[in-house]
Amino acid sequence: MSVSDHVRQLAGSVFNNLKHQHDWTQLQILTHSPLDNSPLPRPIISGLPPRRLYLHPDDQIEIIRSHRSSGEPMEEKPEIEWVLPTHLAEKWTLKSFASVFDSLPSEPSPTPGRPKRIILATIHDDSTVVYYFMHDGIVKPRQN
Amino acid sequence: MAAVSVSVSGTDRAPVRISKVAGRYLLFDIDDIMHLRRHHNICSVFVGTTPQNPQQNIFMGLPVELMPEEAQVLVDKKVAYIFDDGVFHPARLATLDEPTRRAYLQSLKHEGKMAQLVAEESKKQFVPKVKQGKKKSKASRTEAGPAVEDPVEQETSTVGEKDVEDTIDLFDSSTPASLTSKPKSINNVPTKAEPEGYFVTPTTTSALLLTPTVFPHLPPSPPAEPSECGGLSTAAVTPASVDNLPASYPLYAHLQDKGYYMMPGLRFGCDYNVYPGDPLRFHSHFQATHVGWEDEITMLDVVTGGRLGTNVKKGFLLGGAVTSSEPQTAEGETAGSGDAVRTFCVEWAAM
Repeated sequence: MSVSDHVRQLAGSVFNNLKHQHDWTQLQILTHSPLDNSPLPRPIISGLPPRRLYLHPDDQIEIIRSHRSSGEPMEEKPEIEWVLPTHLAEKWTLKSFASVFDSLPSEPSPTPGRPKRIILATIHDDSTVVYYFMHDGIVKPRQN
Repeated sequence: MAAVSVSVSGTDRAPVRISKVAGRYLLFDIDDIMHLRRHHNICSVFVGTTPQNPQQNIFMGLPVELMPEEAQVLVDKKVAYIFDDGVFHPARLATLDEPTRRAYLQSLKHEGKMAQLVAEESKKQFVPKVKQGKKKSKASRTEAGPAVEDPVEQETSTVGEKDVEDTIDLFDSSTPASLTSKPKSINNVPTKAEPEGYFVTPTTTSALLLTPTVFPHLPPSPPAEPSECGGLSTAAVTPASVDNLPASYPLYAHLQDKGYYMMPGLRFGCDYNVYPGDPLRFHSHFQATHVGWEDEITMLDVVTGGRLGTNVKKGFLLGGAVTSSEPQTAEGETAGSGDAVRTFCVEWAAM
């Protein structure tokens, strides 16, 4: 009981951080998989950031190319992101990360060909939260 | 991109010989190294570079030391085989027949002669320059007149001359006395000839594998028997699996299979630096760290790895072989060898 309690509080802290510090909207905490409604290994937060957070480098090249030819300004449409709340002192395994990815649909992505991604939200005891993308598979870095 | 070239090139070349010396896997032949680099995305480390910075071009020297993973991948792909030089060398020497032996010695001598010729050539180019320099300096000194000469300057100049003479002497003394008798000794019977040219210490036993017909500069001798290496190879070729294979091999093989180039990852605290192409042309994309399927990963390690990766414009890649019997749902993540590998890339979300 205490473990799930801890996890629920983590999710609550990250939820508040996203809502008040990062101005995310449409936030909700999911406890069951949108795929088959089975319980998730851990609650996941879905939400809409105020601006687009991630652009795959190949898509970026494509957008720049098409907009250079048309001359229109680039519009940035934010995408729904999945956020996995974790604590800095936790221990994970490849297996547990894989189970999180496997329980998520690849659907709400505007680029279905790209691998799934989540945002790791890692909380420290002083309530600092750091956010890192985690991709399912080999995805080249954005800046190189 | 690499996958295409692999399929094209795989057939037209004999398997590469990897020399196993004292538990290390070495490549001595520059052609083999170029072939593997071009067609099998294996670059590995040149001997002479420092472990932290294996790409210092000026220190690169042969042989190339392969990581055990690389040797294993090459053996699995059947583009290379591993020879235990310690076993092979005495066994091969014991079974050499007279013509082969003579041809081998002759080839060593030829190599020594070539080395000597090259050395003399460079000496010829070197000596006149120095003499000119000496003359010039003397001329300038006489022009300046004897009055200006003070003892200190004189001393330094004589020291300089002495140095030059010393270097010349150094080169001279290394030239064997038998140099002048070279044309005569070529006519001699090869086995009884005086040692001439530089004495070359063979750095690899690969020359022993060659039949005399390979050396075109030698007098033709009876060709070696076809079964020449048959008995030996079974003794010297090590079994198909490399013995000191690290646990990170599945991750290596997975990335290798996808056409990435790997270098040792000491510099970035990971197992491999992963390049999307030849490291001479590309920056690396990932710092890859192997983790067992159920090994614990501290979140602190994920965060610090992601932080370091972002700082050096790389992705932090975690990966390992799937050891359980769970169904694979990730698309395209099953390796060709049948061992499924799952990988995850971490980069900063900039928020």
